[in-house]
Amino acid sequence: MGILRKARTLALNAALYGAVSVAFTSIVAAPALAAEVIRIVSPYQTTTLDPMRSAAAGNIETYGQLYARLLLRNPVSGALEPALAESWDVSADGLTYTFHLRDAQFSDGSPITAADVAFSLDRIRSDKQSAYPAPLGAVESTTAADPKTVVIKLKSAFAPFLGNLEIWNMGIVSKSDVEKQGAEKAFSTAPVTSGPYAVKEWKPNEKLVLQPNAHYWRKGYPKSDATVELREIASPETRAAMLKAGEVDVMREVPWSQIDGLKTMENIDMRLEPSTTIYMTLLNEKREPFSNMKARQAAAYAIDNKAMTKAITRGYAEPANTTLPGAVDFHDKDNPGIPVDTAKAKQLLAESGMEGREVKILATAGATEQQMALLLQAQWQAIGLKPVIVNVDSGAWWDATGKGDYDAAANWWYNETPDPDLAVRWALCGTCGSNSYNTFYSNAKVDELVEQGTKEADPVKRAGIYKEIQKITTEEVSQIPLYYAPNAVAYSKRLSGIKLTPSLQWTLEDTTISK
Amino acid sequence: MNLLSLIAQRLLQLVGVLVGITIVTFLLLHMAPGDPARLLAGDRASAETIAAIRTQYGLDLPLWRQFLTYFLNLLGGDIGQSLRFQKPVSELIGRFMWPTLFLTGYVVCLAVPPTVALAIASARRPGGAADQAIRVIGIAGLTIPVFWLAIMMSRFFGVSLGWFPVSGYGEGFTGHLYHLFLPAVSTSIWLVPVLTQSLRAALIEKTTADFATAARAQGASEREIFWRTILPNAVLPTLNLLGVMVAFMIGGAIIVETVYAVPGLGSLMISALLGRDYYVVQGLTLIFAAATVLVTLTVDLLTAFIDPRVRL
Repeated sequence: MGILRKARTLALNAALYGAVSVAFTSIVAAPALAAEVIRIVSPYQTTTLDPMRSAAAGNIETYGQLYARLLLRNPVSGALEPALAESWDVSADGLTYTFHLRDAQFSDGSPITAADVAFSLDRIRSDKQSAYPAPLGAVESTTAADPKTVVIKLKSAFAPFLGNLEIWNMGIVSKSDVEKQGAEKAFSTAPVTSGPYAVKEWKPNEKLVLQPNAHYWRKGYPKSDATVELREIASPETRAAMLKAGEVDVMREVPWSQIDGLKTMENIDMRLEPSTTIYMTLLNEKREPFSNMKARQAAAYAIDNKAMTKAITRGYAEPANTTLPGAVDFHDKDNPGIPVDTAKAKQLLAESGMEGREVKILATAGATEQQMALLLQAQWQAIGLKPVIVNVDSGAWWDATGKGDYDAAANWWYNETPDPDLAVRWALCGTCGSNSYNTFYSNAKVDELVEQGTKEADPVKRAGIYKEIQKITTEEVSQIPLYYAPNAVAYSKRLSGIKLTPSLQWTLEDTTISK
Repeated sequence: MNLLSLIAQRLLQLVGVLVGITIVTFLLLHMAPGDPARLLAGDRASAETIAAIRTQYGLDLPLWRQFLTYFLNLLGGDIGQSLRFQKPVSELIGRFMWPTLFLTGYVVCLAVPPTVALAIASARRPGGAADQAIRVIGIAGLTIPVFWLAIMMSRFFGVSLGWFPVSGYGEGFTGHLYHLFLPAVSTSIWLVPVLTQSLRAALIEKTTADFATAARAQGASEREIFWRTILPNAVLPTLNLLGVMVAFMIGGAIIVETVYAVPGLGSLMISALLGRDYYVVQGLTLIFAAATVLVTLTVDLLTAFIDPRVRL
């Protein structure tokens, strides 16, 4: 072999070795880098960074990281604490709230002033595109008395007001930035933020990368300087595989069937966290058979929700007894609910004259939704109804339920704050704009009680009012309560201090990473 | 017909195809139940909010006017804005296209060598032991659902053994190779049997073709006949099939991309459909259609190059 040829072979080998080792290092280097990133995987997408524009789950989780609010709910005790507002006074008649702001800055270093607060709250309250103005429904006016003082006047006394100011969409945005760039542009890539994090990179439909906001008002927070990646993965199988393979640290929405498996894993902390989520069955009360109250009651007596809870959630959820989530304030634990009683269901159905009627059950593709629809079908068939399952995607689901083109649909909803006011407005009140969550249930007495409930300041009297609402709506079967589900979230044990609060907020600013 | 006029004719066809597809997808999408404004604003949004959003995006206009606006923009080279993300559709497609193209190329590289090897082994002695075994394995590979195979491979090689990542696209060329290995293999396992069957059949057919007999009569060795005569002629139908498959994969990467969380066109399509993100779906459909026409054109040109007798 000639020297030249030998040299060439050597060079080739060296090049090959070099390429392989580069490839190998780049592969091995990936986990080392991961120590500085907290990776959360969720089925819910971030679709907009404007806190006013969406009430969809993925956005709700994001807004809390980007925008600070006047008040903060302590993630451990659940108590309301000062945030951007250092303190506040309430007038004797309960109609005027004066908030005193602390010295705080936006992520660009500009000060957060009363004008920013008034601007932000006014957008939520009166902008046509505001997705959820209901929490500020009682507000008459918002004014900046001076750069550090905000005065909010209410139309009438409103007990849940302070709690409502803590909800996810009440984040404070920069007035000057939004006015300068226009809302669309200001929130399109990396908005000026007031919360613990700022946007480092947003790849819509893939992930949102956050970095700590150096100007955040809470000194020493976020406790970790790690960046945060919120990734969007629809398939629960894939989310679980990513968590098990160590490619992510937090998995949102663990399917019930995966909980036992994840519990046995050494480096995973599988948790069932308190939530205000209620799974229930919507009944369309705009048309027969369920416009007939006896038919609704028959449908409710036919359902064994204890067995259903066990079958679907493997016992990880609690059977529901009233139309309100079990975790909201003033939930009536002593309400007996509607027990399963097939004989009574048959009798009620006979009295209603709706025997043999077709019942169109709308179901989306999720495993839980499919199971619920199948169980409802079986139990209603047993009392003499003719249930048919209609499979749709969520877009068509919303379309049909909104128009009242369905008979029954199992679904869930949650309440963003412990106070029951928004819950009853959303799910039970016929005059509050939501058609009682598309059931078209309407009872003048209930509507009146809903208004009374917010105006009453005495907690004991409020408890009585909400107890009455639960009694009436459960008996009249405005919806069929099924179960109260916890949030099933799995965490890598290298994280501490992180959780998902009942208001669907990650406590990322309290999170630390153990080395 | 010469090459240039062929290309010109095909591009004209492409325009026709794209116009047709634009009209059909527009109508289908807009007639399907589901409101992008509702999905954007979330469950709790009020009817007034939804109406305001619809007005802002012109979704409240009559369908023909919406189509006209869209079509005129399209002629001006603007394929629209994503309703959900407020980003130009071209930007989204530009970003999500690379993982899909890489995956497609990867699959072709992984699938072609075994296809050729297996088909040759099979066709050498049709009905022999090797042929039987390859056919049985082929049928098994073909009948296993891709999503099931993908899930099992991700569980075994990704989670249990930890050899490969189960998600994402990775950084840099080697990162892409590493991250897309499992998705590419699971797609190949499904693709190889289809291609093998096609190539095998063609090989067997060509063994008895006149030109093979002629070569034999002239005293060429069997080995020579196979490599010089039979194989090049048999490749053509398979090349056509591969072309169709590649075009199909660019649009149909939906399953593997979903299981392996690859940020590609397939996963973009799924979420755009579920979110009723009209213009993203339209844009993607146009891209898929254009890709199909262009890939078939390339295959035809290659065919002509390999076998000048083929009339274009």
